[in-house]
Amino acid sequence: MNISNHFILFIFVATLMTTGCAAQSQYAWSNYDQKLYNHYKNPTKSEQFIEDLRKIIQYGEISGRVPPGIYAEYGYALYEQGNYPEAIEYFKKEQSKWPESDIIMTKMINNAQKIIGANKEIEHSAID
Amino acid sequence: MARFFLIIITLASVLGCVTTPTRDYTKFNAAKPKSILIVPMVNRSVEITAPDYCLSTITIPLANRGYYVFPVNMVKRLLEDDGLSDANLVHNAPVEKLANLFGADAVLYVTINQWDAKYMVLTTQVTVSLSYLIKDGKTGDSIWEHNETMIYQPKSQSSGNAIADLIIMAANAAVTRAAPNYVPLARQANFRAFSFPGRKIPPGPYLLVDK
Repeated sequence: MNISNHFILFIFVATLMTTGCAAQSQYAWSNYDQKLYNHYKNPTKSEQFIEDLRKIIQYGEISGRVPPGIYAEYGYALYEQGNYPEAIEYFKKEQSKWPESDIIMTKMINNAQKIIGANKEIEHSAID
Repeated sequence: MARFFLIIITLASVLGCVTTPTRDYTKFNAAKPKSILIVPMVNRSVEITAPDYCLSTITIPLANRGYYVFPVNMVKRLLEDDGLSDANLVHNAPVEKLANLFGADAVLYVTINQWDAKYMVLTTQVTVSLSYLIKDGKTGDSIWEHNETMIYQPKSQSSGNAIADLIIMAANAAVTRAAPNYVPLARQANFRAFSFPGRKIPPGPYLLVDK
């Protein structure tokens, strides 16, 4: 083994060590800050923001490191789109993972359920 | 004799400056918040995009200190729906009411003092200056505060050719002027404020390792 081989091995080990450390962060943020920034820069692209949040959750769930607030942020984005049943599902996920969110999530779930109920009444009266 | 005292006082004040001030965490530790509500930021700069852009940078460094941080975009939108779209109104509202609305233990108020790019002849200096204030949601007392200022000035290495250096400097300044890089500075300011010795907030309940 000559010097250059040693050097390559050294680089390989060093890279392994540093990436190993970097992967041990407590939450899988997946650039949430950058995605929120993009959302504020292009507010009309709300579909993109929803998709970004969905991916953060998808990736975070693999390692069980979904950061605080992300289920609720996603749930609220769905709520704003009028997708109330799915919004409730994610508000409940936030609530069960982070007990600190219980009060506001209970309110959000109730609001979403009220809207679903009201929409059903409108549908019924339209049929009548 | 008077001169002797003067020397003593001068010495004492100089030595006093050298020792790093230890922060008083008594109030913070008494409040022991688990969750922190970040409300929209008051903007004292002329950049209208500053509050939203800055808001995007603050969740990660605070949550990484071990606190439950309420989703900032949801909070902002809910406050807007309640007629609180003006950050000044939110900052002046009773802390306890805000905290109760969300069930938060504490509220973090951020004011953007500076978010600007100063144009000089051959360089552009970008400054982000933020002040932070955390209040206890139960008592409304201030439990932690800090100011952080970050300045960025593009540096260019000398090539040995003075005219070439000037051209590079002018080009760098023009790039910075066209798109000042505020967001990385804001990220650094937040990280320093929450995690650097001498000002950092104590670790929250979710912190696994205090680095």
